[in-house]
Amino acid sequence: MPTSEELRNKKQVYYDEIEEGQEMPPYVIGPMTPTHLFRWSGAIENWHRIHYDQDFAIYHDGLPNILGQGSWKQSVMPQYMKDLCLPDGWAWKVSFQHRAMIVPGDTLTVWAKVTSKYVKDGMGFVEMECGIKNQDDMETCPGNATIVLPIRGGRAIPYPFVPPKG
Amino acid sequence: MSCGKTFLTEELKALIGTTGERVQACLWGIEKETLRKFTQAVMDPDPRFWDEEFARGTKFGELVTPGIFCTYLNKTPSSVEDPVTKGFRQNPVSDGFAIERGGRGSLPRIRSELVRILNAGNEIEVLQYPHLGDVVFSQAKIANIEERGGRDGSHMLIVTNETIFTNQKGEVLCITRGSAIHR
Repeated sequence: MPTSEELRNKKQVYYDEIEEGQEMPPYVIGPMTPTHLFRWSGAIENWHRIHYDQDFAIYHDGLPNILGQGSWKQSVMPQYMKDLCLPDGWAWKVSFQHRAMIVPGDTLTVWAKVTSKYVKDGMGFVEMECGIKNQDDMETCPGNATIVLPIRGGRAIPYPFVPPKG
Repeated sequence: MSCGKTFLTEELKALIGTTGERVQACLWGIEKETLRKFTQAVMDPDPRFWDEEFARGTKFGELVTPGIFCTYLNKTPSSVEDPVTKGFRQNPVSDGFAIERGGRGSLPRIRSELVRILNAGNEIEVLQYPHLGDVVFSQAKIANIEERGGRDGSHMLIVTNETIFTNQKGEVLCITRGSAIHR
């Protein structure tokens, strides 16, 4: 995970530097603890007990432990894409499915790999597959993303972002 | 479908396109302290979310929040009965999941014999980050309901809801789409 200073001083990645098949620098998060999960539940007021009440999770719902929240995963993915685009690109779209559980003790790797790239309206669009794997290489959150990067010498990416027509 | 029966009834088809009330998603506008709790919980130390001087020099011109932040703003107002106490009074072994969060702007329930519900996936499209002080509004819609047959002859309904989040100027901040499998 980057520090504040690294995000403050992040150098722009340009569309020109991206190649199909390229793997983006991953984030490693964890090991996750019950306290991480509890903090997230409190922050977003998610009262589902399977995320913080271990007895309930195991003995009532038959789960292996309390579970990491899908909402946390779906917040980390746009964060990772945002950081890839800083400072002047735009993380436009992210989609994903929830496939496997995250439990305390897991160390997670957020990753993305370029599947295609194209130019539209003078902006560089990069399509990626992405996900969050646990320490056993199990994919918990497979998905796809579209980010928009500036082209060297090209136009600035507008803010607010204006999607291309068609 | 395998048994000739369809679960996509006329009643359900009529729900496609149904739009909920446009509601104010955050009660007091976006506050710095709520933002701090959120960004620390998601573990994003980006100074664009907390360093005002730095944020002034970015393309945003001021503090902003993560795009997805606006999807967590619809909370229970203090004017209603404490939903946690109420939830456990109604069901002492509540799993906590069904505890209401105000229910404002909600969509009609999908009534079907297919009662098992699974999350089929989510999408977020971000056009603009909420800025500190913004008042965020949300409006949900049943975007689609379709029926599919499983390989084992089972039936399922795929229900896709779309929610548009806007600011006080009516500008779109983000659009979320979530699909659920009813089987």
